Amino acid sequence: MKSIGKFLAATSLAGSLLAASSAFSAETIKIGVAGPMTGANATFGEQVWTGASAYVNEVNAAGGIDGKQIELVKGDDACEPKQAVAVANRFVDQDKVKAVVGHFCSSSTIPASEIYADAGILTVTPSSTNPIVTDRDLDTMFRTCGRDDQQAVVAGGFILDTLKLDKVALIHDKDTYGQGLVDALKKTLAERGVEPVLYEGLTRGERDFNALVTKIKSSGATAVYFGGLIPEAGPLIRQIHEQGLAVKFVSGDALAQTEIVSAAGGPQFLKDVYYSSAADPKQDPDTAEAQEALKKANIAPDNYTLFGYASAQTIVAALKGSNNGETEAQVDWLRNNAVKTAVGNLAWNEKGDVKDFKFVFYSFDDKGAPVAAN
Amino acid sequence: MDFYILAQQLVNGITLGSIYGLIAVGYTMVYGVIRMINFAHGDVYMVSAYVAAITLAVLHSFGVDSVPFAIISVLVVTCFITGVYGWTIERVAYRPLRGSTKLAPLISAIGISLMLQSYVQVAQGARDQGVPVLVSGALRLGTDKDFAQITYMQLVILVASFVAMAILTYLISYTTLGRQCRATQQNRHISAVLGVNTDRIISSVFVIGAATAAVGGVLVTFNYGSFNFFIGFVMGIKAFTAAVLGGIGSLPGAILGGLVLGLTEALFAGYVSTDYKDVFAFALLIVILFFRPYGLLGRPEIQKV
Amino acid sequence: MDNAKIPAKLLKEAVFTFVLSLIVFGPISGLVLTGFTVENKLARPLIIASVVTIGRVLFTLFLETSLGRRLIARMAGTAGSGVTVESGNERFPYAAVAIAFAVGLAFPLMADEYWLGVAILALIYVLLGLGLNIVVGLAGLLDLGFVAFYAVGAYLLALGAQYLGLGFWGALALAPLIAAFCGMVLAFPVLRMHGDYLAIVTLGFGEIIRLVLNNWLDFTGGPNGAAVPAPTFLGLEFTRTARQGGTPFHEFFGISYSADYKFWFIYLVLFLVVAAVIYVVNRLKSMPIGRLWEALREDEIACRSLGVNHVATKLSAFMLGASTGGVAGVFFAVHQGFVNPTSFTFFESALILAIVVLGGLGSTLGVVMAALVLTILPEVLRDFAEYRVLVFGILMVVMMVWRPRGLVRIKRPAFFPSSAPAAVPALAAAEAAQ
Repeated sequence: MKSIGKFLAATSLAGSLLAASSAFSAETIKIGVAGPMTGANATFGEQVWTGASAYVNEVNAAGGIDGKQIELVKGDDACEPKQAVAVANRFVDQDKVKAVVGHFCSSSTIPASEIYADAGILTVTPSSTNPIVTDRDLDTMFRTCGRDDQQAVVAGGFILDTLKLDKVALIHDKDTYGQGLVDALKKTLAERGVEPVLYEGLTRGERDFNALVTKIKSSGATAVYFGGLIPEAGPLIRQIHEQGLAVKFVSGDALAQTEIVSAAGGPQFLKDVYYSSAADPKQDPDTAEAQEALKKANIAPDNYTLFGYASAQTIVAALKGSNNGETEAQVDWLRNNAVKTAVGNLAWNEKGDVKDFKFVFYSFDDKGAPVAAN
Repeated sequence: MDFYILAQQLVNGITLGSIYGLIAVGYTMVYGVIRMINFAHGDVYMVSAYVAAITLAVLHSFGVDSVPFAIISVLVVTCFITGVYGWTIERVAYRPLRGSTKLAPLISAIGISLMLQSYVQVAQGARDQGVPVLVSGALRLGTDKDFAQITYMQLVILVASFVAMAILTYLISYTTLGRQCRATQQNRHISAVLGVNTDRIISSVFVIGAATAAVGGVLVTFNYGSFNFFIGFVMGIKAFTAAVLGGIGSLPGAILGGLVLGLTEALFAGYVSTDYKDVFAFALLIVILFFRPYGLLGRPEIQKV
Repeated sequence: MDNAKIPAKLLKEAVFTFVLSLIVFGPISGLVLTGFTVENKLARPLIIASVVTIGRVLFTLFLETSLGRRLIARMAGTAGSGVTVESGNERFPYAAVAIAFAVGLAFPLMADEYWLGVAILALIYVLLGLGLNIVVGLAGLLDLGFVAFYAVGAYLLALGAQYLGLGFWGALALAPLIAAFCGMVLAFPVLRMHGDYLAIVTLGFGEIIRLVLNNWLDFTGGPNGAAVPAPTFLGLEFTRTARQGGTPFHEFFGISYSADYKFWFIYLVLFLVVAAVIYVVNRLKSMPIGRLWEALREDEIACRSLGVNHVATKLSAFMLGASTGGVAGVFFAVHQGFVNPTSFTFFESALILAIVVLGGLGSTLGVVMAALVLTILPEVLRDFAEYRVLVFGILMVVMMVWRPRGLVRIKRPAFFPSSAPAAVPALAAAEAAQ
């Protein structure tokens, strides 16, 4: 009975919110949020949406931009290029958005950003780390995430200098993010004169990596670097432990999610697991404000939630900084100013890449909570 | 050293293969009776993983600590609920299409597959879910550094799939239901003339197929610990491949196909390349079908003129 | 049915449906996993089960009305019979075709960029559907890896531009040849196999192509994909500034730049290609080769006994289907400006197959309609947000159950000896008797 009451309360609340938003709709600023809301990557799309809407709610509560409320529009591309183009055209023609947070996958961002560039719409991707995204000299394209090469340099240093291991097995998931990261790391290691003992790609969507784990064991690796996402990282970590391998497991910022604990089967498997991520709020005062706000709204600070939040912050800052002006003014402002975001103090270069993106390494405590590792 | 690595890869392959086999049974039985590829089968398996985890969590909240009791009750509950799913899907999406073209149920199966995935995503969220470790520890062979092992959970998988297959074989070979199944498989119309309620038989086949997938789902969930709403897709394609490899329509064929596929994947991944293991598996399938067009154990349909 | 029994039957049905939906929806939507525990949301399955039960009762009541009874009678009347034969009195609908053609050509003037993009995608799927229709609908070979040829066409343009300087028109001319060659390579091992074994082999072939595209990083760019140059028309480029050494379209004509021109151009070329393919397929159907495909689909043994070269016949179907898929791939690549392997998964093959089956196996008009429905539907459903795929799946099942033989029932042309017009009523009578 109690839950029915809750349900009714929720519906009436949603109804009143809907009414409120339609009352404002005449003078809102529309911002599109594009990502995979369905399909294999839906969990990340949800996070980006949660992060972006958390920040926009704050801005709206504080009076919006020049008294205008911001309205977010959701665009589901399922990480398929063909749907990404449809979403982009819809944002431009039907929803008439002012700026876009997205897309999530590089393979969606690349074709969609051509359309945004033609229409002159500011685009900030929270997660597309592929170099091509910004290397095409599109004026309107920015990202709040690091490039693959930036993260790999940090990871190489961490494995070789902090962990002092040089027998590295490189595993990737044959996808843009994972493979890009691992290939960049391979290059970094080669510059230091270290050849990986193993370089393999696993198949996304599978759960059984025992054969690969046995292969890692026979390669004699002391460290495993995995470029990939939680659904594959979880079982891989667990199977490495179950087969009794004494290796350190290092991975990228995709692991910065609370669900890694249940995906790996419990905190006992997260010993010797490290990942790089945006700076810790305790060390980086720039991010403290955002982390605080998320905590207040009772939202888990998952990786892509933070990046979605940061992308929304970037867009709002550009709109405010240019006095809600033309796209060129927004772009100019972003190139010349830094923004305090949920992932650190960000400043951009000519291409739209973040200058000196800061990565920090984390490991897990007994309960599976992240703690700084350096 | 090399011996233990090989032994370990064999263990890996056989465990994976018996799971493929369990899921493949559902494809093969349905195909045998109504000559239809049930593309929603992989997603029925996915649903069973969720049901298993939910049941386990509910048992935990009632303070059930005994692991064997937990495993068995999760198996029973999951098989039942997944069986109901199988029945409902057949009733809603396939029975109205009986007597239509052969491809019509294939398309509604794709629709059902999309529906199940999306329903679970909406209801349970897209995030990865997990279950805690129930059985840990392993049998080890060799020295402290060089060893091959089989975990107790892998043993449970082998035993459970063996038992499930034994029950199924008994069901098909020695019971009235099984005889009616086989008769329906041979000729649905003549069986109906002889008094077999073919609609009921087809429904039972869907229930049995779904329940077998549920056994696979429970075992996979307990062994690998994590799942999401999308796991049905890859598993579905793999199990379908296994069913065809063994000869679709043949129960022992499904098991053999599963084992061959699992071993191929493990050995190719272990000794050649993980990147190309799926390419190799499909290429092997094409080669086998080239020499044995009806799969390893499939019987050719003799066409008389 | 006896009217007095209705309430009892309804009650039984309602209770059964309610219990069944509780079991089905109960655990998944009632208990939500959070970490290793569950959150209780048991109200949800109760609501869903009530809705389903009410729907079921209303549906049963509807079937008891006179309209419902007529509906059942109609379904029962048409479900069994297979093919209808033309009576010989049909006129080719010149006016309708001419209007459709004119509307299609004028469409870019009416639509905005979004709907133009959707229309381009829909036409690409029409092309894919037409190609697969030759293989599945006409020749009866179940192909689950059709996406492979689509990928071949798309990557031909992307990689051809990168390594050989191939342009849009060159790729458009080469794609049918190369895709047909791939079709031939696949068809040789496949011809030995029957029915569903063929399905899995083609599925395997499709997956192999995708995996190789994904894994062969140095050549294809792997998951990072490959960029595709914008199309050119008589050396005029459709980009803001010339990137391929020509003149931009808008500068040549002295008009201001707009991205729309590129899409208009792609749409018009694609529309003409689709029209040409429809024409060719319709001619093929009444040519000897088309008749052989259909005859082989109906009874292979009889055909072979009559001396039909079944290898050549099947091979020609595969190659023609594949070449159409290859052309569609070129258009897809040029429209996207970028290709990567995620566009060529097994799900695409399934979608194309759904177009063919939903359209009515072998029917050209049906394929066109189904392709439009299945590509435009997901866009229309965007307002459902995360329920979009759920609704799409439900509609797919409903459409299939509603029209098990496809949207358009095919009519076979009948041939009558011109000297004996009396045969026409006799045939029509025979058909009615069926």
